[in-house]
Amino acid sequence: MLKNLEEEQPRHVIAFSNATYNLTHTTALKEINLDINEGEFVGIIGPNGSGKTTILRAILGLLLPQTGTMQIFDCACENLRCHHRARIGYLPQKGKIDRNFPITVIETVLMGRYGVRGLFRQIGKKDKAIALQALEDVGMQNFQNYPFGQLSGGQQQRIFIARALAQQPQVLLLDEPTTGIDTTTQHTILELVRRLHRELQLTILLVTHDINLISPFVDRLVLLNTRLFANGNPRDVLQYKILSQVYGDEIIVTDNGYVIGGDSHHE
Amino acid sequence: MLEFLAYEFMQRALITAFFVGGVCSWLGVFVVLRGLAFIGAGTAHAAFAGVALSYLLQIPPLLAAITFGVLTAWAAGLLEEKGRMKLDVSIGILFTSTMAMAILFIGLMKAYSAEVYGYLFGSILSVTPSEMKIIVLLSIVIISTLLAFSKELYFIAFDQDMAEASGIPARLLFFLLLTLIAVTVVLSLKAIGAMLVFAMLLIPASTAYQLTHSLRRMTRISIAIGIVTSVSGVLLSYWFDLPSGPTTVLLQTTLFFIALILPQRRTNQPDPS
Repeated sequence: MLKNLEEEQPRHVIAFSNATYNLTHTTALKEINLDINEGEFVGIIGPNGSGKTTILRAILGLLLPQTGTMQIFDCACENLRCHHRARIGYLPQKGKIDRNFPITVIETVLMGRYGVRGLFRQIGKKDKAIALQALEDVGMQNFQNYPFGQLSGGQQQRIFIARALAQQPQVLLLDEPTTGIDTTTQHTILELVRRLHRELQLTILLVTHDINLISPFVDRLVLLNTRLFANGNPRDVLQYKILSQVYGDEIIVTDNGYVIGGDSHHE
Repeated sequence: MLEFLAYEFMQRALITAFFVGGVCSWLGVFVVLRGLAFIGAGTAHAAFAGVALSYLLQIPPLLAAITFGVLTAWAAGLLEEKGRMKLDVSIGILFTSTMAMAILFIGLMKAYSAEVYGYLFGSILSVTPSEMKIIVLLSIVIISTLLAFSKELYFIAFDQDMAEASGIPARLLFFLLLTLIAVTVVLSLKAIGAMLVFAMLLIPASTAYQLTHSLRRMTRISIAIGIVTSVSGVLLSYWFDLPSGPTTVLLQTTLFFIALILPQRRTNQPDPS
């Protein structure tokens, strides 16, 4: 009986409890209460400056809460090199990468192993095999010696996803993975993420400004506006009366869903 | 033809050129990829100011040069972090103020010191046995450190955000890199001189950058260019009675422009099947 009860309770892999995060001059996230369950695919939406990227950086341990707590796998992980953090893969926002950086695809993906290996330990054959498997997982196995800078935007995102997978994570954090690529490729990337979610049983948190694009893919949507404004099934969150309170006049209803006026997502 | 090998000063010059060329060109890969060229230049002039002060105060030049070099490199790093001014402006101010210090210290000396100017222009043929030992020792320390942390330094140069997110102590390693730059500049001062050591950090790595898309290959090519041109520079300076530092740097510059105009730059681009 007890065992059945345990099976019914989803395991929280990430748990924010009344957590507040301050940046230099502003409060980025205030009194956040949020649990992410094992195996969930959660979309995080919100206007510019609402704390979308901050919440990912908080999970990564790059920010510590001023008040409240944040736990990963039931660990507060206040040490940046806590072993639990190695179980989190991360795809940062595009934009800071030098396209002319002299690096091949396999060298890029192998970087996903660096944090796992740790200081003073060199990369070996096992790491290379894991990196090649990650490339296969994203369908880029034939590109391993290809110059990273010569790939298209969509292909580069696949490589970065492979780099995150090379960490062999249980949780994957994706920050605007569909930014700067064409609509068809955006869908391909999200299809890939959904497939990885299912096949590798990954827990996924995906930050995006594109509320319509993401909603068919996720189990749950979290709407942030410094505070956690809404949290639930995409159909329940994507209501005009909810969105208009966060986006104000910027929200426009079209036949294809909602459009955020003047949308540029960077925080 | 090989009679020069019988001379001890040539043996010392060739060994020094091998280590200085190798270390500068390896570290130069990180300088180029991380965009720290100006910091390298500023550090060289700061180290020279340290040498000038050491001759003024009669203290060991190595210690003063390392202190000035490391402090300037760290100051530049902090300025980059704070980002209150554009980096080229901040480094430009550091660069000129340390050079002003060097000129001031030289002006305060009661007598002309040719040795001080030796550090400005370099004189690899006059490296003493004890100087060579220090250069080799410091080179081994730098090589060991690079071997230990190279994967993290590459990661930081490519994607600092991701490196930090992976639990790599990016800030600590950035300041380690700045320290290595300062120490490398100091160990190269006697051989190449403060005016040209910057080129040794920059040109081999920039040439290698033109020739490959692979980090590993870029590193290997840069080290090969650094060693071959440094040793060749010493030999040419012996055979043709030329100053060795400028000869080495001009050899490197020639290779850089050849790489730049090569029709098939950056090889190893297999077509995906």
